[in-house]
Amino acid sequence: MNEPHMPERLPVFPLRNSVLLPYTLGPFSAGRSLSLGALETALAGEDKQVAVFAQKNPEAETPARDDLYTLGTLALIRRMVRSEETIEVLLQGTARVRLVELEQTEPHLVGRLEEAPIAVESGPEVEALQRELIKLAGSYQSLAQPVGELDINQMVAQVHDPMHLVYLLGAMIGLEPEKAQALLEAPSLTEAMKLLHGYLNHEIQVMEVRREIAGQVQSEMGREQREYLLRQQMRAIQEELGEQNPEAAEVATLRERLAQAPLPESARREAERELGRLESIPAASPERQVLRTYLDLILELPWEAATVDNLDLKRAREILDEDHYDLESVKERILEHLAVLKLNPQAKAPILCFVGPPGVGKTSLGQSIARALGRRFERFSLGGLHDEAELRGHRRTYIGAMPGRIVQAIRRAGVRNPLLMLDEVDKLGRDFRGDPASALLEILDPAQNYEFRDNYLDLPFDLSRVLFITTANTLDTVPAPLLDRMEVLRLSGYSDEEKLQIARRYLLERQRAQAGLTDRRFEVPDETLRAVIARYTREAGVRTLERTLGRLARKVALLYAEERPVPDRIEPGRLAELLGPERFFPERLRTELEPGVATGLAWTESGGDVLYVEAIALPEGEQLTLTGQLGNVMQESARAARNYLISHADLLGVERPGAGVHIHVPAGAIPKDGPSAGVTMAVALASLYTQLAVRSDTAMTGEITLSGLVLPVGGIKEKILAARRAGIRRVILPEQNEKDLAEIPDTVRAEMEFVTAGHIEEVLGAAIPELAERMVRA
Amino acid sequence: MDRFDDLLRLTRRLRLSRRESLQPLRWRPAADIYRTREGWLVKVELAGVREQDVDIAAGGRWLTIRGRRCDRECVQAGKSYALEIAYSRFQRVVEFPTSLEGARMTTELRNGMLLIRIVTEEVSGS
Repeated sequence: MNEPHMPERLPVFPLRNSVLLPYTLGPFSAGRSLSLGALETALAGEDKQVAVFAQKNPEAETPARDDLYTLGTLALIRRMVRSEETIEVLLQGTARVRLVELEQTEPHLVGRLEEAPIAVESGPEVEALQRELIKLAGSYQSLAQPVGELDINQMVAQVHDPMHLVYLLGAMIGLEPEKAQALLEAPSLTEAMKLLHGYLNHEIQVMEVRREIAGQVQSEMGREQREYLLRQQMRAIQEELGEQNPEAAEVATLRERLAQAPLPESARREAERELGRLESIPAASPERQVLRTYLDLILELPWEAATVDNLDLKRAREILDEDHYDLESVKERILEHLAVLKLNPQAKAPILCFVGPPGVGKTSLGQSIARALGRRFERFSLGGLHDEAELRGHRRTYIGAMPGRIVQAIRRAGVRNPLLMLDEVDKLGRDFRGDPASALLEILDPAQNYEFRDNYLDLPFDLSRVLFITTANTLDTVPAPLLDRMEVLRLSGYSDEEKLQIARRYLLERQRAQAGLTDRRFEVPDETLRAVIARYTREAGVRTLERTLGRLARKVALLYAEERPVPDRIEPGRLAELLGPERFFPERLRTELEPGVATGLAWTESGGDVLYVEAIALPEGEQLTLTGQLGNVMQESARAARNYLISHADLLGVERPGAGVHIHVPAGAIPKDGPSAGVTMAVALASLYTQLAVRSDTAMTGEITLSGLVLPVGGIKEKILAARRAGIRRVILPEQNEKDLAEIPDTVRAEMEFVTAGHIEEVLGAAIPELAERMVRA
Repeated sequence: MDRFDDLLRLTRRLRLSRRESLQPLRWRPAADIYRTREGWLVKVELAGVREQDVDIAAGGRWLTIRGRRCDRECVQAGKSYALEIAYSRFQRVVEFPTSLEGARMTTELRNGMLLIRIVTEEVSGS
């Protein structure tokens, strides 16, 4: 018979990460050119045989002899499919072979082989091992998932050869490559059986542990279910006993509250509808909490509740005076509103906007107004708010939705007519999330806000009874439509005299109480207060002043606590000791001004300031050089001033001057803008061209036009106070600003001289005495 | 995508191979058996097998056909693209209700079929 011989030379198919055992079938995929070559050669052969050896090192791309195990398997290609770059084969192992040597490595491995039959014993030991293996395989099968993939019994019935059985079982349990190779290399049947016995045992243990873990997870789930069942039972028992379950009790309480709450019809309908939904929602549902919160809001909102305004004008006046010094125009406006309310209780509240530098008492004035009117006070800051939904709320469809700040504030107030203070309206943000200023438009419009609809509440709420007061440091950043809806009341900075009054009447007492000096002697004379105001603070408001007085009070408290001698009065001379060295020096007045220098007045957010304008002629060129961080408007007024003077050189009695000039406004690092330095620049240039010095005790402000007119400017009070602080006693200001002088405290007015001017010639004459003479002569 | 398809196919193959792991090492050709007037006709599907590569033996009630199929028709110039035909050794054992002792046998390989005619004494006697 033509018994197939084993050829001595065969292509070698190296395996990475797997081992093919004799008798077993295995799918393999060849992608390496080495493997592809070996399979190609085998497929071209008559017997389709190939030698399969596992790689010791799976990483090796082109394995050498040492990278391959010596013992491998002779295999038959049973099936083959070629896809684009790989060959997939189903190999069946036929016998164990030994690799004697690699005869060829290019283009693929070819090995010289010899048969390596395994020693097959027989006897009781083999018999016993075989039975044991069959038993273990049975328990393995019962643990394996999915069951029924392979029928061990069927296999045992069909396979009689024990060696065959060992290899099949080894392939069936999917041994790791090292273990499979060890099984392949077993010298005898009994050795192989013992090895496999160990492996099977291990696999079974692993599977048992896995089943145990799975079981634990399941029992965990079982506990939750049991809890649920118990709860259901408890509910049933409660119902049987006539007790209400907590959810039903909750609904009943809400229903009762709803019946008692004074709600407008639309709100009541909505609340009842939502209450009906609440009843049908299971206790564990997260939606229940959402609904509950919503109903609470409806029930807590002051739909009808309101405080009664105190319309006693006299008392209101007293309260306002008690809390704040001066601020006459604001107090006046509040009293007007009270008067209107007295005559027409349905009058819509005005929407006020307090504008002024920090620390002048905008917020506390709001509190004081609330007290005077007998209204509840609520406030929140709009500073940095940049999401419209913050004001108007989120729709209830969103998780964690909340009503907007307005509705929240009204809920906190508990009445529908509180005084609601919206601070820092000039610092509203605006970005892609929306524009809160636009939302404010609706809220602050008395014609619309009686039907304000918060996104969360989704019911109209009447805001027209709310007295809105907004505050801002500047109006420049407040959108025009918003500004249009508000009545702007300016709170300008305080003069030193006013600060002294405020300190004596309010701040000192407050700080005395804070420091616990109520019953102790802590006397601060006016001279000392003046020194503190002038040398330790520089501000339009009184915030730093109050802090400084607080520090002073604490130092005195420390003296008391340490039982050291406390002075009867705190004289100005002791300030350095108590507060440290002076912080500010009164602005050094330039006693002598060079030709080309003039004193101007500026308005800043924190009050007024004195600034000098310096000009020099440039020998060449026509250019106007401007330095000192001047803004566009200021640059333009410099240009207008120069061109006016050049075209009116005869007025100054000089030859037509060169156009090249450099104007600098220190301090150079602070950005400046605005038209109000126009006259100052004109005076500086006139002084430069005529080489006549400007009066050093005179400061000026005003806008100029090309025809020489002087136009009014803002911030007169701050500017005049700043001039006085700097020691200037004479101020030139536009004619049309004369009315603003009424705001200046009498004490200041008495000390100073004001010159009003309608035309630049008047300004020049007032600022440069010698030029005045020249102009008169002309 | 291709890699994924390959993986799927390979997994399917793996399942298949587990079930097929019981396949004997020798392949088993299909056979038809006819009862004739003089005895039996056994037709074995042995395409591509040369007559000299087949070995037939009778013993008792069993007839054993075994041999080896070599891929002699393989195209040397081309590359193998798919392979399904089983090569190498095969074996088929046919069992009869009566003993084949003393029967005469003739074989013929025609159109890829091996025809084995068995004339038993019993029939020839009648």
